[in-house]
Amino acid sequence: MNLKPDSKVLVQGITEPLGSIHAARMKAGGTNVVAGVSPGHGSEKLHDIPVFDLIEQALSAVGQVDVSVIFSAPFEACDCAFEAIAAGIRQIIIITEGVPPLDMVRLVRKAEATETLIVGPGTPGIIIPGKLLLGTHPADFYTKGPVGLLGRSGTLTYEIALELTNAGLGQSIALGIGGDAIVGSSFPQWLQILDEDDHTEVIVLVGEIGGFSEEAAAKYISEAIDKPVIAYVAGRHAPKGKRLGHAGNLIAAQISAGNPDKVSPSGADPETAQSKISAFKQAKIPVADRPSQIPELVKKALKHGVKKK
Amino acid sequence: MGIPVLPSQRIDRPSDLKGLKIPYPVVLKSQVRAGGRGKAGGIEFVTTTIDAVAAAHRIFNLSIMGEYPQVLLAEAKYNALQELYLAVVLDRAERRAVLLGSSQGGTSTESAMEKMQRVVVDEDFSPFYARRLTQKMGLRSKVVISVSDIIERMYRLFVEQDLDLVEINPLGINPSGEVMALDGKVTVNDEAIARHPDLLQLAEKIPTVEGSGAGNDGAAIATATRNEPVSSISSCLGGSLGAPHFSKLDGNIGIICNGAALTMATLDLVYLCGGKPACFANIGGDTRWDLTPDDFVLRLTQALNLTIADASVKAVAIDIIGSAIDCNAVAAAIAACVQQSGRSLDRSIAPASSVTKPLNGWDSHHNGFLNGFGEISEGPALNFDLRQAESDSASLFSESSQPQRHGGISLIVRLCGTDLEPAKKSLAPLNIPVVDSLEEAIARAVAYANKI
Repeated sequence: MNLKPDSKVLVQGITEPLGSIHAARMKAGGTNVVAGVSPGHGSEKLHDIPVFDLIEQALSAVGQVDVSVIFSAPFEACDCAFEAIAAGIRQIIIITEGVPPLDMVRLVRKAEATETLIVGPGTPGIIIPGKLLLGTHPADFYTKGPVGLLGRSGTLTYEIALELTNAGLGQSIALGIGGDAIVGSSFPQWLQILDEDDHTEVIVLVGEIGGFSEEAAAKYISEAIDKPVIAYVAGRHAPKGKRLGHAGNLIAAQISAGNPDKVSPSGADPETAQSKISAFKQAKIPVADRPSQIPELVKKALKHGVKKK
Repeated sequence: MGIPVLPSQRIDRPSDLKGLKIPYPVVLKSQVRAGGRGKAGGIEFVTTTIDAVAAAHRIFNLSIMGEYPQVLLAEAKYNALQELYLAVVLDRAERRAVLLGSSQGGTSTESAMEKMQRVVVDEDFSPFYARRLTQKMGLRSKVVISVSDIIERMYRLFVEQDLDLVEINPLGINPSGEVMALDGKVTVNDEAIARHPDLLQLAEKIPTVEGSGAGNDGAAIATATRNEPVSSISSCLGGSLGAPHFSKLDGNIGIICNGAALTMATLDLVYLCGGKPACFANIGGDTRWDLTPDDFVLRLTQALNLTIADASVKAVAIDIIGSAIDCNAVAAAIAACVQQSGRSLDRSIAPASSVTKPLNGWDSHHNGFLNGFGEISEGPALNFDLRQAESDSASLFSESSQPQRHGGISLIVRLCGTDLEPAKKSLAPLNIPVVDSLEEAIARAVAYANKI
């Protein structure tokens, strides 16, 4: 990850409802939004940001950019990302939720081949308090500090940030990897980045039902992460089989013959909150039972320094 | 897609079998959206009309995973020497499509699982991936070609139609080495269905509870499975937002939040505080590309109307946070819903200082916090029956003699966004407190609901 306060930011889908609102906020907060791209709106200006039809036109005007934040419609988001990669942009954040998974499969392959960092889809983006806002986070909820905040979704991540900020525990960086089923970067990837980040002393991981990200994170933490991690998992009481709003939440027993590889080692039903909490406990990671308990666990972890293995 | 399927006929009622055009022996299959139908008794081979009619009667009255069939499918029985299991599925962890195959297909899922083989489609698909799977499954000679061909077609279907799953179980191989798809299942991805108008149309024809994808064309054996009721699927159409995600439980507290994970965390908090949710609604987080502030307020209104209309709901907790939330508009929408609902707004939801009884899992740290909170003023206790546009005479009710008004309801709101102060002011006359802390909102809602 290579993000600095003066990183040049492109906003794709800037004329969409979400794009417009948040591009303005990002710029107002000091983020260096240099251009926007929305096909059909070239030569317009929005919130004093020049808008272009194509990324190559934008780059002719403003030079190479460091990161693109995509607010385009779900069926266009993948194409926007491909265009960004083709233009040499190596960090992409897809805010939009509901991108078809098969589009993401193609995008992920291209990202791996070009070493492009992709965050999302369905993410609130990345915020480095006081420095950079790439997405929808409410800047007021965040403040500078030692906690690296890593989650999947938007509003719950804001809630946890607020708890931390109110308790005097600021954040070095906060992001969501996205609520969709197939996402560009994983918990282990970001755990590694936070482990190597000089400003992060403790990591808070916010998980939710569905998929196996949290189980993978627990395993990675016990094998490769030195800094202390505090976990919280939402959805202990979520009714099974119901769509709750994140494509990634669906606990699907899809295959008639069952899932050959997916029996949870803890014995709990896979993909449930119980299974994730067990995985964290097995890896000796403290698990908060409610958001307001997180600050006290973080304070304990900070007092004890580097976690004992 | 050119995958061979058996001649089949739709059976709407047992007497239809008298007009069966397929020669016996025939297999009757329950058309429900569930796997494991064979094991559950939903599939039966019959050799005569009398047996067929009797079997049909039995199967029509057999509920599998809570679903009764509206329709059965009668198919010619196939003389299979071997039955294989094949599937193409999206693997989230790999972030790739994966080919699955087992040389032991059919009704016994355990034996299929034992021999299950897996090939990850790492790069762009090419037929050799399919051949690789057949090799792993132990298939040899001619059969490799015919089965690979089926796998390739399944993969093409998977990609072209944005599917989460294509499954053929069993794929029958007859003594001459020919293949025939004897049964199958297809799962359409909810996110992508809007770009397939033909699938969307098909989905909309399927009633939400009973399943039936059986038509008379070759796709008959593939039963379309959805994970959402149709109204939410059509909400995927470009621009149209549809109804918020709303789910019903059996308690007495209604929850409305913006964002799936926040909703789940709030639900967990309710249980932790000793409360029971009646329903919960997620009106959408910050990542819906087309959610304008007006649409957001509309979804809130829909969710709140649904919640208030539920007679079992006694207390409603609304939690909305975000960077672009117009608190004034939200407050106005809440006030309007409540005033138009026809339900009387009971006395203010338990003020913070009255929450003294110990709650499940509550430690002293939090008790201290709550008891110390004395800012919310009691105010005069007024009961509104707004439908009649008159108010009862003001009287003070003590906490222990809460009026048990039929249909009475109480609300508490937690908001974070712009224009918070005006929002608080506009809801105060309705005795709807607006608080900053999620836990406080939930604790108070639970304390109130538990007293009813």
